[in-house]
Amino acid sequence: MVIPINSEAFENLRLELRRGCLVLAVLAALRSEQYGYTLRKTLSERGLEIDEGTLYPLLRRLETQGLLDSEWREEEKRKKRFYLLSADGALVLDQLLAEWRNLDSSIYTILKEQSHGTD
Amino acid sequence: MELIERYLEAVKFGLPKRQKDDIIAELSEDIYSQIEERETALGRKLNEGEVEEILKQRGHPLLVANRFLPQESLIGPVFFLIYRFVLKIFAYGYLLPYTLVWIGLMIFSPSYRFEQTHPSWFGAFASLFSYLWFAFCLVVVPLTIAFAVLERQQARVRFFDRWSPRKLPPVRNPNAIPRSSSAAEVAVNLIFFVWWAVYAHSPELRIGSMIHISFQPQWLWFFWGYLALALGNAALSATNLLHPYWTIIRAKLRLFSDGVGAALFCWLMQANILDGMSITNVPAEKATALTQAINHWMTTLFPAAIVVGLVVIATGIYRIVRLKPAVEHSLP
Repeated sequence: MVIPINSEAFENLRLELRRGCLVLAVLAALRSEQYGYTLRKTLSERGLEIDEGTLYPLLRRLETQGLLDSEWREEEKRKKRFYLLSADGALVLDQLLAEWRNLDSSIYTILKEQSHGTD
Repeated sequence: MELIERYLEAVKFGLPKRQKDDIIAELSEDIYSQIEERETALGRKLNEGEVEEILKQRGHPLLVANRFLPQESLIGPVFFLIYRFVLKIFAYGYLLPYTLVWIGLMIFSPSYRFEQTHPSWFGAFASLFSYLWFAFCLVVVPLTIAFAVLERQQARVRFFDRWSPRKLPPVRNPNAIPRSSSAAEVAVNLIFFVWWAVYAHSPELRIGSMIHISFQPQWLWFFWGYLALALGNAALSATNLLHPYWTIIRAKLRLFSDGVGAALFCWLMQANILDGMSITNVPAEKATALTQAINHWMTTLFPAAIVVGLVVIATGIYRIVRLKPAVEHSLP
């Protein structure tokens, strides 16, 4: 049975797949300091749409885990909270990227083997 | 802008107390940044409808606030499985049979029906539901508290980490018959057979020298029926003892004997089987009243006997239905 591409089941699978990737993307994007709104725009411009209801709780969680540092600063007459990857966050990001490349490579191998099998 | 302030105030309501101001300040900044960007693109101020649209896209304030809350549950997924299982046992083992017996009594027992529906049917249903609700609360509230405590203990002690595959229960074969239960059935049926043949063969029963009970003439039907059933069941259980697994034939024989036993029992309950009774040193009118009371109570319990009989028959049918696929699977 193929799940229709717009069905709720497909949407749940897609969100599940994206959830882990978003953490990786946020950590990677915060190697340079940004505040919430610009971070959201940066990710969106690179094809990773993330709504504020997902982003801000995620930023708080990552900060609580010690992976991000944040500070309130005034910019253009408004107070904004700027986030930056912490030293621990940088280490975790490296490990997660290694894991990401392993996964990518494994899935690529599996797909390649299967395409050979069906030839 | 008033709409934004109202929106933020509504989000604030659901936020964790310590982080409220911080989260609201950040959300506020995000909303104003979005509006500012849109206004720059349009080259004019946004009107109230456009601001409303932006806020609507962000979602209901309670949903937005909910995303900042920690994921907490009273009973976690592992204990929830056991919790649900215990609740099912309570529902199917107590609440459902109670309701079925109540329905049976309401249908077949006019005196019970009158007692319950006086002064109204509404009162009867209200009384049933209030009892069921009371029983539910009495069990579910302490049970939920107990599981919530277990959940907290598990988070601290992590006793699910200390387990061994060797301590898991053995695989249960539903078609297997434990030899111990077959042996017990043989013994019980043979003892009953001898006792029944010796003491119940006549419609006149003497218990010691003090009590003399006489039954209606149809007593002989019950005597011979239960005598045959005891012998048949003893033979069936002996076969099960030698071949400790159900076959279709034996499962059907068990269903037949259970069905006949249940039918005889139901008949017995409403047959006014006691004809008379005499007890030494008890006046005759008192003995007669006792006889009538026993017959009356047996008749009153007739609906309960029907429910029990139906459960016994349903169990027998389920055994056959469950057995059929297993037999088909075992075919070469």
